[in-house]
Amino acid sequence: MAARLEIVSPEGLRVDGRRPAEVRRVLTRTGVLSQADGSAYIEQGNTKCLAAVYGPREPVKRAGVLHDRATINVEYNVSSFSSGERRAKLRRDRKLLEIGLMIKQTFETVVATTSFPRSEIDIYLQILQTDGGAVHTAINAATLALIDAGIPMTDYVCACSAGFVNDQAILDLNFLEESADVPTLTVALLPKSGKISMLGLESRLHIDKLEPVIALASDGCMQMKDTLDEAIRISTRNLAKTVLH
Amino acid sequence: MISVSERDYITKGVDRSVRADGRARLDFRDLNLETGMITQASGSCRVTLEGGTDVLVGVKVEVGSIEPDAEAAADADDIDDDGGARTAGGGGPGTDDTTGSSGGGTHARNRGRISCTVACSPSATRVFDPRDVESMCNEYSQLLNRVLNSAHGGVDLAALCIVPGSTCWVLNVDALVLDYGGGLLDAIFAATRGALHNTRIPRATVEQTDGRVEFEIEDEETEIVAGWEDVPLTVSMSKIGYRHIVDPTPLEELCSSARLTVAVNRRGNLCALQKGGEGGIEPSLLAEMVQTAKQLGQTLLSRHDTLLAAEARRIAKGVDPTGFR
Repeated sequence: MAARLEIVSPEGLRVDGRRPAEVRRVLTRTGVLSQADGSAYIEQGNTKCLAAVYGPREPVKRAGVLHDRATINVEYNVSSFSSGERRAKLRRDRKLLEIGLMIKQTFETVVATTSFPRSEIDIYLQILQTDGGAVHTAINAATLALIDAGIPMTDYVCACSAGFVNDQAILDLNFLEESADVPTLTVALLPKSGKISMLGLESRLHIDKLEPVIALASDGCMQMKDTLDEAIRISTRNLAKTVLH
Repeated sequence: MISVSERDYITKGVDRSVRADGRARLDFRDLNLETGMITQASGSCRVTLEGGTDVLVGVKVEVGSIEPDAEAAADADDIDDDGGARTAGGGGPGTDDTTGSSGGGTHARNRGRISCTVACSPSATRVFDPRDVESMCNEYSQLLNRVLNSAHGGVDLAALCIVPGSTCWVLNVDALVLDYGGGLLDAIFAATRGALHNTRIPRATVEQTDGRVEFEIEDEETEIVAGWEDVPLTVSMSKIGYRHIVDPTPLEELCSSARLTVAVNRRGNLCALQKGGEGGIEPSLLAEMVQTAKQLGQTLLSRHDTLLAAEARRIAKGVDPTGFR
């Protein structure tokens, strides 16, 4: 194999100066779209995701209506200008549909759908800019947007990615690291119970290395949980201030 | 979906120049503009209107090849090769043909191009029928493409040429509608103009060695898009009853029988004209609407230029855009 850019330098620093177990800087904001019931915007490093939640509301398609619970629809979209090379938006990109389905299944475990029978909750995720970790950023944004919409959930869903390179597990991979053939594992965790709600790995990883990588990713998820929790508390406090004054 | 009484209420209000939100017929809503929040794009701009309309435009430049059979015959009023000033719009095709350029064929082979797409984020489409969304996006994309690539599109396409006859810059303009609150087309054009103002093209140096032409792209040195100031803005007027309004809200759009979109640039030239909607417009009303649009266009442009100048100052100071924060 040709010599490549060192993902982790001998001093233990990654290409963007982070330590192996360090998550990128996260910026969050809720209530960014005026027309949506709930919305959120997250920036994790250079990855930017916008989430909009509509619901619970009357379903558009009568066919998928469930008599005892709400249906969750997730649409995951990546903007043409989001990545380094412009990609034309394909009609029904299968990969995007699959990601949308994965995220839907993730949230079905925590959203109290039985409180809203015969209705629909729509989660729209738009990736505005991607520098790696688009899927887990989208999941975190969806969590914030759902809470912003006031939809009851049993737990936060916090997601993070981790990889393994040079005998070392690294956390929160950026685009360079993801494209350098580093096996990337995306994990979504429910912090209260510690259960893993979503797990995705797309390349080869030795079975012995799996546990430390999952452990590191879970640790990253717990860090994300603190960030998300803080964001919710701040926005709720602000909301309370406007109501009480 | 609008009830008869609501339609009646809006129509009567428009007749008296008192719209539902208190505006007069020819009043625009406040516009917020921000540029440069998508750092991976060559240029970006987000425009939000008070009523919720939210459009984000990203421009990505890439090196492309000049199409060998690029249509030049239709460009009667083309940019002349001597680099002379373009004639003012409205001058017929005849005046431009007399310039000393060597025929239609070489024009298109010395220019770059702009490729536009309008897409709706799912969060905006809940208002429309999905099939309507696609045809609406297609219609807007085509209009944007036509206007920007025409002679009065503003952008100096000849400046986008790298190697005449073979390579050029292609500006990919992608408009994303994040939220819908009426007045979409005008917001798209406003965001496009803002994004083009924000776009930086890497410098391409061309070298000719032994008959072979090579070019090099330098990432560090960038240039602005020449001619962005002359990109037109559109004024869309909706006919409600016997009157016309600008910058409609979604309910007003449902009441309108016809829509006239007029593209005006800062020189006051009429760059494009398009009528939409099922209803008809009387010729006398049409002429009046076009005149009104031209005047309003100048107001819009000066407001736009002020906002862009403020953005340029903010960027020069190194202040980060608020984006969605």
